[in-house]
Amino acid sequence: MSHEGTDFLYPFIDGDERDASALLKDLAASARGKADDSKNLRVATLERCAPDLEVAAEALANTFRAGGRLFVFGNGGSATDAAGVAALFRTPPWGVQLPVRSLVADEAILTALGNDVGFELVFSRQLIAHARRGDAAMGISTSGNSANLLTAFAEAQRLGLLTIGIAGYDGGQMATIDLDHCLVVNADSVHRIQETEAALMFALWSKVQTRL
Amino acid sequence: MVLVRVVGEEVAVAAEPGSLDADLADASLSLARRFAAGATLWCWSPRWPEHAQHVAVEFVHPVIVGKRALPAEAVDVADPVGALRALVSPGDVLLAIAEASDPDVRSAMLRAPAWGAGTIWIGTGARPGPGAADHVLWLDDESGTAVRSGEIALMYHLLWELTHVCFEHPGLLVDRDAVCEGDVCVTCSDEGRLAEVISAQQPCVATVRTAAGREEIDTTLVEPLETGDLVLVHAGMAIERLGDAADARDERGAGGSELGR
Repeated sequence: MSHEGTDFLYPFIDGDERDASALLKDLAASARGKADDSKNLRVATLERCAPDLEVAAEALANTFRAGGRLFVFGNGGSATDAAGVAALFRTPPWGVQLPVRSLVADEAILTALGNDVGFELVFSRQLIAHARRGDAAMGISTSGNSANLLTAFAEAQRLGLLTIGIAGYDGGQMATIDLDHCLVVNADSVHRIQETEAALMFALWSKVQTRL
Repeated sequence: MVLVRVVGEEVAVAAEPGSLDADLADASLSLARRFAAGATLWCWSPRWPEHAQHVAVEFVHPVIVGKRALPAEAVDVADPVGALRALVSPGDVLLAIAEASDPDVRSAMLRAPAWGAGTIWIGTGARPGPGAADHVLWLDDESGTAVRSGEIALMYHLLWELTHVCFEHPGLLVDRDAVCEGDVCVTCSDEGRLAEVISAQQPCVATVRTAAGREEIDTTLVEPLETGDLVLVHAGMAIERLGDAADARDERGAGGSELGR
């Protein structure tokens, strides 16, 4: 069937759309809707996770009180979120400065490990080098299934570290490997998950600060 | 100081002029248009470099399978303004995530029109002045936590999402209002174009960079000039020198900083 009969329903289908005002109106409405979704997800998740957040914050505060450090890691956007939360703990807007390191900060180390032993080991090998009993490891993955995070958590458990997972969807495999704490954002948009993961980690930081 | 933006597309504002939603819509359409014409997006956040990296990875490696990979790169180097001067090509877009008071970002945003680049400035708190960038995407953020609690991330996620919606409208990816017709086009006529001085070693003449490329201009009216100075050029002649870092210093001084001690 020729599509000419229905083209009038889709004025832009042949690339001949001229007037941007309808699109701009749609984009603005879409932005409002997505911003509302993001806010609702953040509020609902913080409420649902409140008890878990308190327990995780208590454990992490104990780690810092006893002289332990926190190592944070993730891939892609979650790598930048790891860098952001490490900066938040290290140089906070208020409160105590804490020893938190991102394992994605050094391109020499990441590429050396990725090239020589494989990308699955880029975080676990760094934990072997840096971490000791009494430290903590926090991994961020929207799917909960990143292979290098699962490997790193296995290493962290072997080393006796406190383990904290930040994940999306249903938590993926991270929800099944007996992490000490696993905070899950139940949603299926990577962007909305990342926004709420940031809110969860901010809440975790804030609750740790009130305990120190 | 109000600098008239002589380069950069004007997009008709729909739906609540001045609202963040409308600002995001406008920024997304002009970013999509620039990408469609071959732009690279330069992402820069002096205080929060991880946010700039996050923006770049969104565009280069989309989270949604099937969306096109677009050229974006985070700039996290010493002398970022100097690096951007070397990296930015005409038609590119500079996106900064920074406070309104950041002197380096203010300097780069002022210079961007001379480099032929569009500008997007994302931030929170006190807002940059009018005309500080082509697109200012600003959060009120009364709590002061937006940078770390997901709200700034929401802003650039939306910019990415809306930009890709624009790619579904190929007929709108050319800004027909900006297409030059006749002799009244501001871009092509010689009406006060911004220029950055490349070298000014000869008396009364300087080599400058404008959105149109490198050219030699007469500097008799604004002597002396130094490399890096910004001037307005009309009919091959520099008619006014624009302040830059000096303005930022003056404003800080007026605010009672320690500079006067």
